[in-house]
Amino acid sequence: MRERLSFYVKRESFLHHLNPLTKLTLAFGLVFAAFLSPWYWTPSFFVLFAIIPLSFIGKVQREYFGAALRLILPAAGFLFLMQSFFQPIGVKVIFKFWFLDITQESLMFAFTNASRIFVMVSSFTLFLLTTHPSELMSDLTRRGLPSQFAYVIISTIQIIPQMQAKAQTIIAAQRSRGLDTQGSFFNRIGALVPLVGPLVFGSLVEVEERAIAIEARGFTSTSIKTSLREIPDTRFDKMFRWFLILLVIAVIAARIWLS
Amino acid sequence: MIKIEIQDLHYTYPGGVEALRGISLTIKPGEQVAMVGQNGSGKTTLVKHLNGLLQPTSGSVLIGGWDTKKAAVAKLAARVGYVFQNPDEQLFSSTVGMEVAFGPHNLGYGDEKVSALVKDALALTELSDKTATNPYDLSATWRKMVALASIISMDTEIVIFDEPTTGQDALSVARIANIIAELRKRGKTVITITHDIDFCAENFERVIALSQGQVLLDGTANEVLGQENILAQTYVDPPQLTRLGKRLRLKETVRNQEEFLAALKKK
Ligand SMILES: Nc1ncnc2c1ncn2[C@@H]1O[C@H](COP(=O)(O)OP(=O)(O)OP(=O)(O)O)[C@@H](O)[C@H]1O
Ligand SMILES: [Mg+2]
Repeated sequence: MRERLSFYVKRESFLHHLNPLTKLTLAFGLVFAAFLSPWYWTPSFFVLFAIIPLSFIGKVQREYFGAALRLILPAAGFLFLMQSFFQPIGVKVIFKFWFLDITQESLMFAFTNASRIFVMVSSFTLFLLTTHPSELMSDLTRRGLPSQFAYVIISTIQIIPQMQAKAQTIIAAQRSRGLDTQGSFFNRIGALVPLVGPLVFGSLVEVEERAIAIEARGFTSTSIKTSLREIPDTRFDKMFRWFLILLVIAVIAARIWLS
Repeated sequence: MIKIEIQDLHYTYPGGVEALRGISLTIKPGEQVAMVGQNGSGKTTLVKHLNGLLQPTSGSVLIGGWDTKKAAVAKLAARVGYVFQNPDEQLFSSTVGMEVAFGPHNLGYGDEKVSALVKDALALTELSDKTATNPYDLSATWRKMVALASIISMDTEIVIFDEPTTGQDALSVARIANIIAELRKRGKTVITITHDIDFCAENFERVIALSQGQVLLDGTANEVLGQENILAQTYVDPPQLTRLGKRLRLKETVRNQEEFLAALKKK
């Protein structure tokens, strides 16, 4: 079975070739700016003029829109509904529903929050789609990140696709021994029960094996390590990172100024 | 009695690898078939179609008249038992006994029948003393036996072994040969994928050689193993005795010591 180790989609694009740290700064920059900005329209502005164009620049628009429509938008929509109903702020009632009042303030509040969450999940989705985890980690360790820390991050990024692949093989094994995993709702739920044990147990075994494997290759060695892969860091990368940092600072300044 | 009919089967993996390119085969009930061919020639992909784990991209697979496109895997499991290439992908229970009972239990047999089937399968694989052990505490050799037992206990008409002898010592290979002989006696259809050409020559009447997703050769073991040049296309070497027989210009193709000696005497 071919395992997909991360969300990474291999393509040739400008975004793919940016330095991983630049992309990480971009993701965090958009998130910080969206959350700290004093204006309610900033997150939507980012979606329209940064995130969507970036998904096309990175040639991952199909994957991004797939995730956005099926996952991110429904989650943000849910948040929007809950907050506009249950936020007891404001006085300008727009309409009433049973005992719930919807005010203009609560709508605004909910919209800002939901779009912030949308920006956050979207920018990290884009980041993961265009950045190979090991490239990110070799770049960050080269910049002085402790390799233990890098290991923790990288295995976290990888765990979901790995668990998925593992679950698929176990399901295949159980189906070929007559377990009915299709059909009624109860069949499906019932089929999950024998899956949990081996999935968790198997993953633990795997963690131990991996720890032994990387130790055997000198993981905790303290001597300076060289890297097989050169990850380019261009002048443009550096300038772009400064621009993003300045953007966040400007947003913070605007917030202080306006309050 | 269940027949396997494969009609112009093509399969392309989601990633775009074209693993099978037009395979047509019929396997009669009770036949013992070995499948050989180089790594990546499509053997595993082909047998995964027999119990519906994979669905044809085009063409069809009929198991005793059931189209695998329409029958659920869980239902096909009553007819086709498939022992995975890698036992670690197959085992998930916490004891050998539970593992072996999982299949027959799912097939809806009563408790009494399940325990009889489990007992029989454990005896056949010489696992009777390890019923309460966790499969993960066993060596790879014995885990493979557990994988075999967990399929044999389902008592299906068709049994598929994917590389059962890989990494096994002589004793264990003999045990597997013994299991196959017993299944033959019970009238089961056995399909075995193997890279062990001696094992293939000694235990199977029919041999199918695959190469790049197509059937390269299909016939009796003697016919197929005699085609040294064609087999070379899929990196299969006939057994040494067969090749020696050819060098000695023996009339028939031989595949074991008895045939070799008999042919030598005739000459
Ligand atoms: N899950 C998968 N996704 C994509 N391609 C696959 C997958 N599994 C196998 N393949 C490819 O399909 C082709 C046939 O593979 P298959 O596993 O059927 O070969 P095989 O004859 O069983 O080889 P082996 O002797 O190594 O077990 C190979 O090119 C392989 O790389
Ligand atoms: Mg295989």
